[in-house]
Amino acid sequence: MKQSVRLLSAALGLALAGLAQAEVAVIVNPGAAKAPSQAEVANIFLGKDKSMKGYDQAGWNATKEAFYTKVTSKNEAQLKSYWSGLVFTGKGQPLPSVGGDADVVAKVAGEADAIGYVDAAAVNDSVKVLFTLP
Amino acid sequence: MMKMKLLPLAICLASAPAFALEQGEYRLNYFGSVGITHLGGEDQGRSYGVSGQTTDSWRGDQLSKFGAQLTYGLTDTLGVTLQATAKPLQDEWQANLEWAYLSWQANDQLMVRAGRLRSPVYMYSESLDVGFSYPWLRLPDEVYSQVQLTNYEGADVVYTLPLSYGSVTFQVAAGQAKNRDYFAYDDLFSIDYGKLFGGNVSLATNDYGTFRVGYVEADISTTIDGVVNAFGTPTYRQLLELKKDKGKFTSIGYQYDNGTWLTANEWTTRVTENDNNASIDSFYLMGGRRFGDFLAHVTYAQLDENEGRQNSWTLGLNYNIAPTVVLKTEYKRVDTSGGYDGVFVRGKQELYENELFERSGGLAGVPARNYDGDIISVGVDFVF
Repeated sequence: MKQSVRLLSAALGLALAGLAQAEVAVIVNPGAAKAPSQAEVANIFLGKDKSMKGYDQAGWNATKEAFYTKVTSKNEAQLKSYWSGLVFTGKGQPLPSVGGDADVVAKVAGEADAIGYVDAAAVNDSVKVLFTLP
Repeated sequence: MMKMKLLPLAICLASAPAFALEQGEYRLNYFGSVGITHLGGEDQGRSYGVSGQTTDSWRGDQLSKFGAQLTYGLTDTLGVTLQATAKPLQDEWQANLEWAYLSWQANDQLMVRAGRLRSPVYMYSESLDVGFSYPWLRLPDEVYSQVQLTNYEGADVVYTLPLSYGSVTFQVAAGQAKNRDYFAYDDLFSIDYGKLFGGNVSLATNDYGTFRVGYVEADISTTIDGVVNAFGTPTYRQLLELKKDKGKFTSIGYQYDNGTWLTANEWTTRVTENDNNASIDSFYLMGGRRFGDFLAHVTYAQLDENEGRQNSWTLGLNYNIAPTVVLKTEYKRVDTSGGYDGVFVRGKQELYENELFERSGGLAGVPARNYDGDIISVGVDFVF
């Protein structure tokens, strides 16, 4: 009985987690010169590694939340505070941002050095998936 | 068909390097603080703080300020940045141009800036006026009263190297700052910083926080003097004269924030040749924890000089009203020992009376005493 309750709650937990956040895919152009690791992707999206052009998603959504918490270990408040630190010390400007998944896919498909993150369901043949985040 | 041809061109234009603003592109950012602060537990009229604006009446001038920053891309790699602040200082609003520089992004890692720049003295120096960038309403006064200079004219080089576990940034700065205000003994004096040179290294790790080591030196020239009442006779006194005497300032800092727990710590030492003082050492240790939109934090700070010691405990509770708006409340208990004024403001006359007491063996004057106070501050910091 105990066992089955535990199993049930585990299954329920998984189902809830699945509902709460879809998979996030980090995508690059099929002709990209390199395949950055997760740590390098973090540096690109924190403005420290400028060897590739990161496209951010405007506003705040579930995909963005999942991407930043998993790749850079920063939540929304931390991320905003991080960028205001860079902006007001003259050391950086936030990455350009576009409307949503479809726009990110279009940008990444169009530029050889572009990189972005989207809901895995939005990925198509025009881009290459670098890795997905569960 | 026409559209098909234009599309690759548009993409080509959009794919300028990511590290600087594109030509003609601009960003406007604003920041500000609105707050009131009050010193209790001291005698009437006693003031406290780096500019002496914390007193026994609730005042908004110590904490309130507004700023705007404009960044404009002249070309894809050359940009101009202007930052202006408005602050109430000694009973009037003063507009200051804190940043006014040209920046050149030489490559992915190297940036060169020239013009008026913020002096990179402390860990939070370059965002000193942006309260949103640090957890307190009042930066720990023990440390942040050490160097009053906020900007200089010159150039710096910022080199950032991405690492597998974070990044490391090197910054080297050189320049000068002439004819600046220096607040001492409840008065403003003119001060020159010549041959200003500084360097710092900041190692930002993804998981273990950020370490920073910085050093700044300058040839300081100033005359701190005034007229005191000596036994009924107005008498001129010179309290300090520096003629291109070297001032050296070292700071070591560490910050960590994992979203729940955070800590910020800084240790500084300042030496000025020919000021009759050994090194002035100060530090603070801060720890905090977030509970949802709340942040509770505690700070211990200490300042040691020849004359004595100031130490303080600060308790703070912040609430994130919005992702870029924070309501902050703070209680700070400050004590000095050794007959030392610390960050409390002691006027010229008082100093004279204290020195007279000591020199006359207690026959005249007033003995130097210790100070203590309870400082309460409430305010809102924001950026947009």
